[in-house]
Amino acid sequence: MKKKVNGIALSTSEKVIEIISYIVMGLFALCAILPIMHVVSKSFSSANAVTAGAVIFWPVNIQFETMSYVLRETTFLPALKNTVIVTGLGTLISMVVTITTAYPLSKPGFKGRKVFIMLYIISMVFFGGMIPAYMVVRTLGIIDTYAALILPFFIVHFNMFVVKNYFEGLPESVEESARIDGASDLRILVSIVCPMSKPVLATVAMLYAVNYWNNYFHAMMYTNSTKMQTLQVFIYNTVNNTQTLVERLVIGNYSNVSIDGVIAAVVVLSLIPIVALYPFVQRYMIAGITIGSVKG
Amino acid sequence: MKRLFAMFLVVLMVISSFAGCGNSGGSSSPTPSASGNPSSSGGEAKPLDGEKPTLKYLGYNVSFDPNTDPMAKVYEEVTGYKVEYNVLPAENADEKLLMEVSSGADYDVLQISVPQFQTLLGQGALKPLTELLDTYGKDILNGVNENSWKAMSGSDGKIYGIPYKYPYPTEITNFMVVRMDLLKGAGINEVPKTLDEFYNALVALKNTYGDKYIIFTGPFRAASEASVSWDIPQNITSAFGIYNDWMVDENGKVIYMTEHKNFPKLMEFMQKLMAEGLIDRDWAVNNTTTVNEKLSSGKAIIATSNRTGTLVTTPVMTAADGLKLTYDDLGYIGSLYGSDGTNTYMRTEAINQVTCILKSAKNAEHVVNWINIKQQNQLYLNFGVEGTHFTFDTDGSIKPINPIFAEERGNSYWYLNSTDEDLFAQQWPSRVRKSDAMWAPFEAVTIKANKETPEIFVDNPFAFMPSLQNYSKYNQALFKSTSDYILQLIAGTKKIDSLSTFQKDWENMGGNAVRDELQQWYNEFYGK
Repeated sequence: MKKKVNGIALSTSEKVIEIISYIVMGLFALCAILPIMHVVSKSFSSANAVTAGAVIFWPVNIQFETMSYVLRETTFLPALKNTVIVTGLGTLISMVVTITTAYPLSKPGFKGRKVFIMLYIISMVFFGGMIPAYMVVRTLGIIDTYAALILPFFIVHFNMFVVKNYFEGLPESVEESARIDGASDLRILVSIVCPMSKPVLATVAMLYAVNYWNNYFHAMMYTNSTKMQTLQVFIYNTVNNTQTLVERLVIGNYSNVSIDGVIAAVVVLSLIPIVALYPFVQRYMIAGITIGSVKG
Repeated sequence: MKRLFAMFLVVLMVISSFAGCGNSGGSSSPTPSASGNPSSSGGEAKPLDGEKPTLKYLGYNVSFDPNTDPMAKVYEEVTGYKVEYNVLPAENADEKLLMEVSSGADYDVLQISVPQFQTLLGQGALKPLTELLDTYGKDILNGVNENSWKAMSGSDGKIYGIPYKYPYPTEITNFMVVRMDLLKGAGINEVPKTLDEFYNALVALKNTYGDKYIIFTGPFRAASEASVSWDIPQNITSAFGIYNDWMVDENGKVIYMTEHKNFPKLMEFMQKLMAEGLIDRDWAVNNTTTVNEKLSSGKAIIATSNRTGTLVTTPVMTAADGLKLTYDDLGYIGSLYGSDGTNTYMRTEAINQVTCILKSAKNAEHVVNWINIKQQNQLYLNFGVEGTHFTFDTDGSIKPINPIFAEERGNSYWYLNSTDEDLFAQQWPSRVRKSDAMWAPFEAVTIKANKETPEIFVDNPFAFMPSLQNYSKYNQALFKSTSDYILQLIAGTKKIDSLSTFQKDWENMGGNAVRDELQQWYNEFYGK
């Protein structure tokens, strides 16, 4: 019996291509999953097995001390808390600012529209430099606070223009009918425009969230204390401080915890929130990739 | 309502259009400005018997929170000063520091690296400390040696930094760990002391065990706090009289390691080991982790290492679920003698960190007073209480009582700003004793060399060199290019007769410019 795809029988050459495709894609999938399996295995293996290089893709002498060490003895949890706060609060503020900026700019009748758009384009193209940006943050007195990690980044011009363009594409007649029914501008924005723009808003929210979550350079520049360290800064410092880490393991008598195990555990633990969220935001992630592309 | 909403949107847009300015990544190199705000410079000295201010401190990156570590409390109790500790990031530390300083940082005290100190000094951002040290830092002044002060002085002769010098200059930082059980199995009962003995041991191991084991693996690429990473162990190069990348010959001429008369002989020796299958075939691609893995998994008999390396490998090798070895089964090969009796191992006379005060700092007197109190209590703060944290050994050395010593004084090193250098050199080895895995090689190699063959240690002529322009610009690339060339020679892909071609390329890469600069500094510093 011939194999059918969508009711159409496959020829021999098509079958061969299909088999090759499966094999190639399977190999790609394997290439992606094997390093993750290696890191996960290391984080649950005994220190001796990790140091002796005995861990490949499966844990050896399973233990949970490494995970426990990272959670209890390092600043992983405070760093995660900081990142979650910055990402959550930052995304919320960014969305409010982006929507309330994009909406008036999407209205051709808005006086001074061109001037404001030009202002945005100028500040998008010309960057004042790191020192002026740092001095602004410092002068505002928000260095080493959550505000320093949110305020300078609460609008990304590209995202604002994407939302503005989407708003411009919405039928004016719907807003007009709402206005006839007595709705105010704010009401129209909240109850009519935003619900109609859910796809673009979800995608832009996700882009903001990724931006806040991954922010390393500015988080490193705008924070000084360990208690304000974000997850990305924490990971980088852990990976680059192996000598003091070794000494700490010795001092703390963590004989079953190794440096490579700690680094692996930090990576695994920091992956968990992303892995848990990814299935729910996957379609927006794909939309985010194609959002700037030209449609035929 | 409509008008109000429109106004709100306009205000929001204006704010957000400026907020967006900071959004483009970018990491343009900031340039510090000395102009900062030197308002308090030259102000009258405050009396120090009043209320002690909280000091704001910026130090190098560390893997624990210095504010919550128990040591912070101990330091506060002893000095009476509350300190708010901040750390530089592990990456981009220079950029972050310069940006902070140029935008008017309000730190009372900085502890930074020597190149960072030189940069800030060059920009005129630091407060001179000579008078402050005279008034509030007598112990600091007396405890630090003259050469260290010389390296901390500006062109005006004033002191601008307080040095923390690597405490044990005569340490064999790079050594080899050898499996004595297997060495004895090959008929050799003693750890090799000379290059010939070492070679014979490798041959004997090869003859006995064939390809069952990797006879000798390396290099150990992770640099320790006191040494740089070399592709050939420094305890082998010592047998050829090569102890540093830059050296000074008997005529006072600055030379590079590849220009040393014994460099071809050194390379011939390494090539011979490779050709006879005595060293790891993966020598060129090994890293610290793979070398540790090969040793601790029992695949290799001899491996290059350092104190941090043995801290990782020894617990695995002696574990019940590891190789089940005892400490007697582990030997340590120190600095080897050449066939002509040559053995030169460089003293690590380096300044690790510099404590300095910005011109704009408000509590400079208190900072110097605080550091001075810390130095007065050097023994208590770094080693604890006799009988509780340590005991004095029969030879007068400090023997820590673990685990309390490690738990309660383990992290004290991060809080150190200055030491009574001579006294601390005697006290410091006890800190290595907090772990048997570190102490065993330290005792077998370093302490032994200090007792039996102290003449092997030679000075690093450039230990107190400031940050020089060409050196900073070219030396890293020169070292990398030399390392690559050495690996190609060891692997046999290049022959030693290509040395003159390499040397010409090296000179064109900035080698001559660095040499001229070093020669000039050397002549000035040592009054030649």
